[in-house]
Amino acid sequence: MTVNRGSPFRRHRPLFGTAALALSLFFSAFPPAPGAAAELPDTLTIGVLAPLSGPYAAGGTSFVQAATLAVEQANAEGGVFGRRVTIAVGDTQGRVDVAKSEALRLVSREKVSGLVGAYLSEETVGVMEVAAAHRKVLLVPVAATAEITDLVRREYARYRYVFRVGYSLPQWAEMIAAFLSDRKVRRYAFVGAGIRWNLELGETLERFAVPKGISPSYSAWYSPGNPAFDTVAVAAAASSPDIVILADPGRNSVSFLKRLRESAPALPVLSVGGALGDARLAASVPLSAPVYVQAAAWRGVSTAATAYVDRYERRYGATPVGYSDTLPYDAVTVLVAAWRKAGTVESDAVVPVLERGTFPGVAGEYRFDPDHQARWGTGPGALRGSIVRWEPGGARIVYPPR
Amino acid sequence: MASPLPQVLLDGLFAGGTYALMAAGMALILGVVKVINLSHGAFFTLGAYVAYALAGRGVGSPLAAAPLAAVIAFAFGVFLGKSFVNPVRSHPFALPVGTLACALLFEQAAQLVWGPHPLSIEAGAPWIGPGGLVVRRWGAVAFLSSAALLGCLKRVLSSRPGLPLRLIAEDEEIAGSLGMDVEAIRYLTFGAACAMAAAAGALLSPSGAVTPTMGRAPLLLSLVVVIVAGMESVAAIFLLSIGLGVFGNACAWLLSPQWSYVALLAAVCLLLAARPAGIVATAGRRD
Repeated sequence: MTVNRGSPFRRHRPLFGTAALALSLFFSAFPPAPGAAAELPDTLTIGVLAPLSGPYAAGGTSFVQAATLAVEQANAEGGVFGRRVTIAVGDTQGRVDVAKSEALRLVSREKVSGLVGAYLSEETVGVMEVAAAHRKVLLVPVAATAEITDLVRREYARYRYVFRVGYSLPQWAEMIAAFLSDRKVRRYAFVGAGIRWNLELGETLERFAVPKGISPSYSAWYSPGNPAFDTVAVAAAASSPDIVILADPGRNSVSFLKRLRESAPALPVLSVGGALGDARLAASVPLSAPVYVQAAAWRGVSTAATAYVDRYERRYGATPVGYSDTLPYDAVTVLVAAWRKAGTVESDAVVPVLERGTFPGVAGEYRFDPDHQARWGTGPGALRGSIVRWEPGGARIVYPPR
Repeated sequence: MASPLPQVLLDGLFAGGTYALMAAGMALILGVVKVINLSHGAFFTLGAYVAYALAGRGVGSPLAAAPLAAVIAFAFGVFLGKSFVNPVRSHPFALPVGTLACALLFEQAAQLVWGPHPLSIEAGAPWIGPGGLVVRRWGAVAFLSSAALLGCLKRVLSSRPGLPLRLIAEDEEIAGSLGMDVEAIRYLTFGAACAMAAAAGALLSPSGAVTPTMGRAPLLLSLVVVIVAGMESVAAIFLLSIGLGVFGNACAWLLSPQWSYVALLAAVCLLLAARPAGIVATAGRRD
């Protein structure tokens, strides 16, 4: 840096000198304890990456709320190795560059022992680079792109620290196709926001649905910033599908459903992505035809799920939608359980434990496949998720059949 | 219904009504106060939250919420106009940045008070017209309200009570020399325009989801309408709004939903290139 004559630095040089002297005296008076770097800190911190501002702030806020409940539960059970667990939150703003820099901050400055996040697929792929470079275990709760597990498979040595708790797009498509088959659907319309995972899910679903004799009657994606999606609602209804699959995690899902109900009041809708799992929203949309919502877990599926929903509702005053406010809870729970089983938070010791173990969560027992993908789907031992139907009194679980 | 195209065009008409509702207040601010108010969308959002809050207390009709929203927004608008817009308006770059900051501040406040999650008000069943045409209730309300609002605005501006507004829009110095309190008229106009945006937000709240950032899209489109139509003609603002609504929906139907916005903005750019001062402005008058 060039310091010009008359610059603030030069003018205040005595002041800077005094401050530097005071700081050096402070650090010499209170030196770090010998060997502190090698010992575990008093608290173990998990870095949580989610968008708390920007267009995905609603999902990101729920994400952090779920992670908060998980560390509280971990501490109520005695913490990890007798130490308290805390979270340090990085606001990704829904942007890849911010997600990466926040991940770097959490690792290098907050000294987190593991990472959970991020929210969007694009962000998560960026955060994977930071986790790999700093050898930190990263648990991915909601990002669904196939690229995450593809990277683990192709470059295992580099990305072995990454595990996905949530479902991948092929698993998601398999579960949706199984539900459509169960409902005897023959034609479906697939619509939603034009974002990456939607586009991929639409294509993947077609691959799983067509062999079951189910074909798309219409596919369209609207821009998240374009309020003129009336046309999509009209065209979807005009294609005479048996059901409309609405893939939109944001506020437009409500607006779209209202438009669709006006054009086709008797057409069933399956919402994937979470937003319509909110009971407050569901109460305001017409239920003249079934409104189904896909969720990772729902109240009544298991004792653990019911206990979680009750706790979430007591704390935050609303029931979780079962996706972005539930899977982060399981991600933190799995990470904490892996630390306990491994007896350490060192990543290279935790990875084999995650690869071989089973971990209970709200959605069921988690096991990871060789690509570090949790087993979801319709196969034996796989987590199956739930599909609920909104009714005037609340939601009823309709799938999988019990 | 034989073809969905009439439905698509009718929905476009209603979408245009939404743009016009917002553009009315924006035109008033641009014409009289001569500033670009980037907090206009925040007042739209405020109106929607007032409607939501009233719906939670048993007042389900946005028609009842609109007057209350307008009163609250007028008070806020007058405060903002008097304390910030009037002192800063002589600095052309400071004001858009300042009003944008106000909008972001409001969004954060709304997020703190109501949370970031989308909220929703029951929309009610639509009316079914001839041939099975679906007349969306709140679309029709937007269309009729915008026509009524812009009609009233045109009437006020062309009558004696609107003379101070016209005079200030033409020449503030002359208006001041005639004894008019130009500053007061400016902040009252600012408040009235904010009230119009809030009433629009309340009226349209059942048609979609209520979120802290819901005012951004209408803000952009209303700004586009006012700049392209020019501020001289209230009728041009209304007709251009309707035209853009129908054009956007027709493009979505004929091309693809994702291309409709692009086509709409491309049309706007072409209009601006052909008539930089607005489509009804006399050539060379302002540029």
